[in-house]
Amino acid sequence: MIALDVFAKDLRLHARDARFLATLALFGLSLVLILSVAFGPLFRDPAREASATLWAALFFAGVLGLTRALDFESEAGGGEALRLTGADPFSVYVGKAAAGFLLMTALYALLLPCAAVFYDVGSLAVLPQAAGVAALALIGYAAWGTLFASLARGAKARELLLSILLFPTLIPLWIGAVKLTRALWADGSIDTVRDWVKIMVVVDLLGLTLAAWLYETIQESEA
Amino acid sequence: MMTISKFRVGLWTAALLMIAASLRAVLGAPVEAQMGVVQKIVYLHVPSATATLLAFALTFAASIAYLATRAGIWDAVAASACEVGMVFATIVLVSGPLWARSAWNTWWTWEPRLTTFLILWVLYGGYHIVRSSVAESSKRTISSVLGIVLFVNLPIVWKSVEWWRGSLHPRSVTMTGEMRQTLLLSMAAWILFFAVVLWERLRLEMLQNAAEAAVREDYAGAAARREGIAR
Repeated sequence: MIALDVFAKDLRLHARDARFLATLALFGLSLVLILSVAFGPLFRDPAREASATLWAALFFAGVLGLTRALDFESEAGGGEALRLTGADPFSVYVGKAAAGFLLMTALYALLLPCAAVFYDVGSLAVLPQAAGVAALALIGYAAWGTLFASLARGAKARELLLSILLFPTLIPLWIGAVKLTRALWADGSIDTVRDWVKIMVVVDLLGLTLAAWLYETIQESEA
Repeated sequence: MMTISKFRVGLWTAALLMIAASLRAVLGAPVEAQMGVVQKIVYLHVPSATATLLAFALTFAASIAYLATRAGIWDAVAASACEVGMVFATIVLVSGPLWARSAWNTWWTWEPRLTTFLILWVLYGGYHIVRSSVAESSKRTISSVLGIVLFVNLPIVWKSVEWWRGSLHPRSVTMTGEMRQTLLLSMAAWILFFAVVLWERLRLEMLQNAAEAAVREDYAGAAARREGIAR
């Protein structure tokens, strides 16, 4: 399985770079801290502010992870070597996106309790549903993020470019994640905002479909 | 390529139509009872929004055509349409708040159509930045992929008034009589103007491509001559 191999390779490379992982974690935590201070100390709607803080921190910090994953391809001719193996480009994409998803999940696991503690919201009872919301948001983030990161790979100031393209595209996903997390923390259920689940599924599928269609073309352009 | 004289004919026709449409909008069309003269912005706002959507749809179609054929002309069409589309999109974004201030008592509100259109504007701005930032060898392919990916936002802008609650934009506009005729004339004028500007932008893009190719050939020739002398 090429996708699994690429996934394992990316994870190994991430694991070897402790400095990068520490930077990512600290950057995410700093964002949560700054936004908590900005909203606090007297919160008007803690569930809403906490969920906005959590997802803003995740999305911003995630850009570091996405660009780092693509650096693996440019460093020491890794991307060229991968192309020479004749591996199916979409499998490579799936492997990279899955590694990105796992990295973001780890960051989510770190930032979720911080946001919950700083704003004094949430309960363990809604954790399974919160995990479901996170899966929906982070699959889309990894799918679109990997696609856009590969587009911006050869460009100057690619982190900025990635932000310009990725954040506006992911606004439906971000709003959905914030609204669903807020509903879970405030009401304990997503019944009032259930429509956002459908929107997030559509955004996820759209990202994966476009990648399936276009990722090979992007890879060819770099050959 | 269209010759200069044909271009001028198109430009003058578009200019005359624009003047006629503007005069009719200002002097001929009746003043709307509730909003007053501010309502006349619709004769500028709606046609420029239509031209924007046409431009970005053309970028999408030309991007697919480039990936399918690898013919440089399609890349030039996509890039030119996107650039012209940005101008029209900016007109929409400027004229919208002028309307909103009178109709909704605010310059800006985070309602679905406004928000999605602003996102569209930012994204297509990103198209140009990416295009000018990537290496020459991959510029056309990367731009085409982006032209396809960004098109996803167009149906979202189009359908946003139906998909989200709280939209202040009407789902459909029904006009009759003088107002309808004025709007149709404005649409025709703006779409012709869009076509003429696009044609000129495309001509410039082709000239630029030809000039760059000539420079590259010159460099290659000079390098070959230097190599010959060195031997």
